[in-house]
Amino acid sequence: MKRAAFLTLLIFFFNTVSLWGAEAKKAIEVFPSTPFYQYIIYETLAIFWIAIIGLIVIIRMKLREIERVQKLGLDAPVKENNEKQTGGDNAP
Amino acid sequence: MKINYSLITRRTFLNTLLGGWLLAFLSGSFLALFKFAFPTLGKEPDFVILKNVDDYMNIPPNSIKPFAWGGKLGIFFKRADGALVALKGVCSHMECNIAYKPEERKFYCPCHKGWFDETGKNIKGPPPKPLEIFEYTLEEGKLIVARKGVKVELPKA
Amino acid sequence: MNCQRLKDWFDERYDIAPLRKFARKKLVPSHRYDLWYYTGGIVLFLFVLQFITGMLLSFYYVPHAEHAHKSIIEIVTKLNMGWFFRSLHHWGAQLAIFTLFVHLFAVLLLKAYRKPRELLWFSGFILLGVSLFFGLSGYLLLWDERAFAAVKVATGGAGAFPLAGNFIKAFLRGGIDVTGETLTRFYAFHVAILPLATVFLMALHVFLVQIHGMSVPLSLKDAALPQEPFFPNTVYKDFTVWLVILGIVVTIAVLFPPEIGLKADPLAAPPEDIKPEWYFLFLFQTLKLFPGDILGLNGETIAVVLVAAGIFILFILPLLDKKSSREEKSPLFNLIGIVYLVYFLVMTIVGYFS
Repeated sequence: MKRAAFLTLLIFFFNTVSLWGAEAKKAIEVFPSTPFYQYIIYETLAIFWIAIIGLIVIIRMKLREIERVQKLGLDAPVKENNEKQTGGDNAP
Repeated sequence: MKINYSLITRRTFLNTLLGGWLLAFLSGSFLALFKFAFPTLGKEPDFVILKNVDDYMNIPPNSIKPFAWGGKLGIFFKRADGALVALKGVCSHMECNIAYKPEERKFYCPCHKGWFDETGKNIKGPPPKPLEIFEYTLEEGKLIVARKGVKVELPKA
Repeated sequence: MNCQRLKDWFDERYDIAPLRKFARKKLVPSHRYDLWYYTGGIVLFLFVLQFITGMLLSFYYVPHAEHAHKSIIEIVTKLNMGWFFRSLHHWGAQLAIFTLFVHLFAVLLLKAYRKPRELLWFSGFILLGVSLFFGLSGYLLLWDERAFAAVKVATGGAGAFPLAGNFIKAFLRGGIDVTGETLTRFYAFHVAILPLATVFLMALHVFLVQIHGMSVPLSLKDAALPQEPFFPNTVYKDFTVWLVILGIVVTIAVLFPPEIGLKADPLAAPPEDIKPEWYFLFLFQTLKLFPGDILGLNGETIAVVLVAAGIFILFILPLLDKKSSREEKSPLFNLIGIVYLVYFLVMTIVGYFS
């Protein structure tokens, strides 16, 4: 299933490649032409990805933590008298 | 899950890390959004057109003549050897206007005592980058000063 | 960061205990098809992204035939980050519609539409239609040669409907031809009517999902599937997927900013080998299959009626599929689903490369 999803994504990106060549001969600049700005843009994009990957790593760590606590037996249906308790404080 | 010698639980640590990172991520993203949403102010032009060409071309060697680069200072500068250069008269450190010192043949930024040499290179003090050099062309009796690598499209009047 | 007093203040006024209880009880089955559950969430996320970028773009866009094209050029060349947000809006739309189709076919093939979820299918189907209309109307706002020609073809196709065709065509175009009137109309659709419809339908769609819970494929309904709590496990996973999607769409937006053609000229000939956006290619290609004249009838009218019938059958599929509504296997509708998928894929690819 994962491979199928990946393939569909790949096909989608293939569509975009053909746009690249068509754009080169157009007169209207849809991307900053100054090398200085281009550099800033690519740098920002790299930082953006680093931020995203960092967030994903933290979320994975958190998920693992949660699953570990759930495995310890807290995944049983929560009783009514626990209603008031907020999620953060019921660690063993 | 509190270890004896730890002040915080792993959960608190992860929550803080996640919250902080998320906050930084969102503020970065929203900064970009706001930059677009707010009117674009004080953006530097890609090029300017100057009328009285001779005033700029015929300045004596080792002297400068300022011009308006959008709302900022632009400088026409004739080096001692006669080469004519157009550059942005704004320090690359904290954006103060710079002054030319003819006796030392250097540009000086009085804000934090930064120095640039005749080619605009930062040689002393805090400035992190050289001065920005423009390209200029003469066209139909007009002097066009443009940022490097910018295609100049004259407005059709 | 506990804000107990604020919570108490709120609790005194509103009883959210049932909501909290619901959030805690909501479970999501995990199995080998659960990957497809994420497509709905991705669409939701992309729509939020479209709303945000769209609102910002509307600050600067001028919906007038004389100024529209120029105002977009100004957005792209003069404004801070303008080129990026236009590109992001463009690619966000492409990716949203792509994901919508994936979502549609996943639901179709996994038979998630079966009883009791028929209303979910209907609302989702209408949302897809709304999204395609979003795409068409947004495309015209660019007011360049290609957009102009594409909208001419699309609204002309609607005109081939028997009986109501000309009425629909005139309503969409705001006149007999595609003119500046069409532009203001499509602008109204794009920024006022369709967003409201989308918000309403999405709220309904998501609400219905909460009522029914996630659908389990027929083949797995007897298996004892492990369940995971929606909150917080699935939420975190959804969030991760959204982040990746955000990264992808931002990257495409930076690397492939969409071009802007020449300003539309109603008197000029349309540009060579004009093609609609990829999500209309299957329709476009189908219409091309039919000859202009079939047994004395207008070929285009027949084509449009057949396409409409095909779409309508897909729309009411949950009502036709009696077997799966009794939770029995229905191989016939498997086949129908696959036929629809293959037809869509083949026609899109053929249309793309022809």
